Amino acid sequence: MLVARTTQNEAEKVPPRKRDSATSSSASDDTAAPLETLYRLTDRLYRANGMEAVLAAALDSISEGLGCDKCSILLFDADGVMRFVAWRGLSEHYRKTLDGHTPWTPGTHDPPPIFVSDILATQESELVKQTVVAEDIRSLAFIPLTSQGRVIGKFMAYHRDVRSFDEPCRALAVTIARQLGFSLERATAERARLAALGELQESEQRFRLMAEHAPVMIWMCDAEGRCLHLNQMLRRFWNVEDADLSRFDWRTSMHPEDIEQVMAAMGGALQRRETVRVTGRYRNAEGAFRTLETVAHPRFGADGHFLGLTGVNTDITERERADAQRELLLAELNHRVKNTLAVVQGLAHQTFRKTDERARRAFEGRLLALATAHDLLTRSHWETTSLAQLVHDTLQLAGANRARITAGGPPVRLTPHAALAIALALHELFTNTLKYGALSNDEGKVELMWRYLEGHGKLHIEWRERGGPPVVRPRRRGFGSLMLERTLARDLDGRVELAFEPAGVVCSIEMPISDPGGHACLG
Amino acid sequence: MPWLKGKRILVVEDEALIAVMVEDMLSELGSTVVGPAATIEQALALARSEDIDGAVLDVNVRGERIDPVAEALAGRGVPMLFATGYGEVRLASGVPVTVIDKPYTQEKLARGLASAMSAAQLRRNTA
Repeated sequence: MLVARTTQNEAEKVPPRKRDSATSSSASDDTAAPLETLYRLTDRLYRANGMEAVLAAALDSISEGLGCDKCSILLFDADGVMRFVAWRGLSEHYRKTLDGHTPWTPGTHDPPPIFVSDILATQESELVKQTVVAEDIRSLAFIPLTSQGRVIGKFMAYHRDVRSFDEPCRALAVTIARQLGFSLERATAERARLAALGELQESEQRFRLMAEHAPVMIWMCDAEGRCLHLNQMLRRFWNVEDADLSRFDWRTSMHPEDIEQVMAAMGGALQRRETVRVTGRYRNAEGAFRTLETVAHPRFGADGHFLGLTGVNTDITERERADAQRELLLAELNHRVKNTLAVVQGLAHQTFRKTDERARRAFEGRLLALATAHDLLTRSHWETTSLAQLVHDTLQLAGANRARITAGGPPVRLTPHAALAIALALHELFTNTLKYGALSNDEGKVELMWRYLEGHGKLHIEWRERGGPPVVRPRRRGFGSLMLERTLARDLDGRVELAFEPAGVVCSIEMPISDPGGHACLG
Repeated sequence: MPWLKGKRILVVEDEALIAVMVEDMLSELGSTVVGPAATIEQALALARSEDIDGAVLDVNVRGERIDPVAEALAGRGVPMLFATGYGEVRLASGVPVTVIDKPYTQEKLARGLASAMSAAQLRRNTA
């Protein structure tokens, strides 16, 4: 580092060399009046419209005020390296060799300037000394530039003679440095502001382009609902030019059956300044009606006042068609399944007719329970089914059973597999209680409750009968018991317990819940 | 079931096993079965020529909709009960319909037919 080891005092101790004609000049001989220099600098910095102008004004006042034909300004770059940013009379070789040399590190607090009367009298390396002398320089002034008290760079004044830098000269240098530091700070802030502005404009432009060419329809309207902007896709949809936007009325493209509902939704959103979602059919430029789903959000100015709505329209015509197609296929499938169940019913009818009427009826009941569960699954598109709904449909809770069966629990959704198994189990419990259990008399009751066993990841379903005739444990396991205890447990990966307690039959079902691939999940 | 005793009920059903079962159910209820018809063509012929007090109609008969048979019967004021696996039943003429889900029990069949017959009688009385 140049003069890093040269303190101000050492530098000053260097005795001035004997003057010769070529280099002799006192500091005051070839300098302009300091006040005039400062006045001009202040004026030019005031008018400066950017970094270049600030640097040029500073170099002029340095060479003029300090009487040197060589001078430079260096600033720390982003990596903390002191770099030449402006100079007068310095060779490229000099700048390259001494680039990065500095007596201060970035951020040093308010350091004093350093004046070197004679480079040859310092402890600098031979390379530095040679480079300086080769540039026809003997004495140098290092004046720190600060911003908010911290060093951001320096300016240098170089003289070909050995000189002592008298007090007025030092004072002028420091004053120039203060002016320059302040102006650099301002210019840097201005540059940052312009950069931020440019970024903002660039980002706005980017978003504008994105909105314009997005594969969805984007629009903007004002607080009264007047159309302000349509993106390319929407302009093409209606075949309307930007210039005709003010005369364009999208309502004329609406299907007459939808206009009332869509207008009410949009009017409400404008009035209440809230988000709206509405679907309607609109005639496109080719004359075909397309179903558009609109989602629009309110737009507010910086001061909070309502500017209008910004909306996105999605063409859902194909999706609706596909949904309808799927619905149709599902209905057809269910129709076939139910028809097949009816055929099986017919088969059982033939098989058991006149031999075992009881067996035929039991079988028919199970078949119908299966059919009911199928209907429910079809309604939920063979995705998951609500346990509450399944209970409601299987036990016919809408009818006479409502008063005698209490059912409830947290929201639980079942896979089709689990739903069918539970539907059949409930049917068995239900027919059994109608024949022998709590619902076989006038006062018995059934409670069907389910709850989530926290920490075990299990669903617990309990069927509990009360107030029926005295419970008699059956002598043999019937199909109902077998199905409950063996099939159901297997179907649910769970545990099923059927207890013939004196107060009434109790059936406990425990099954895993919550894992996404499992049979049941909360919600 | 007084509604069904001695009544002549047209049955249209393309599945033989179901048709036989419905026939047995209706016989047990005291009705006489007309048919069963297994095609729309047969059903139309019976619907136009026979004496009929009521009808149990499959909605889809070998891939064809029951509608022409239903319209013919509606024109004669015959009460109809539609049996379907799934989905709505709607007739072009807008005549209100009674529907039961397949598979169904004898009780449901009897109740369905009775309600179709009483609805038809109500229409005749108010017409």
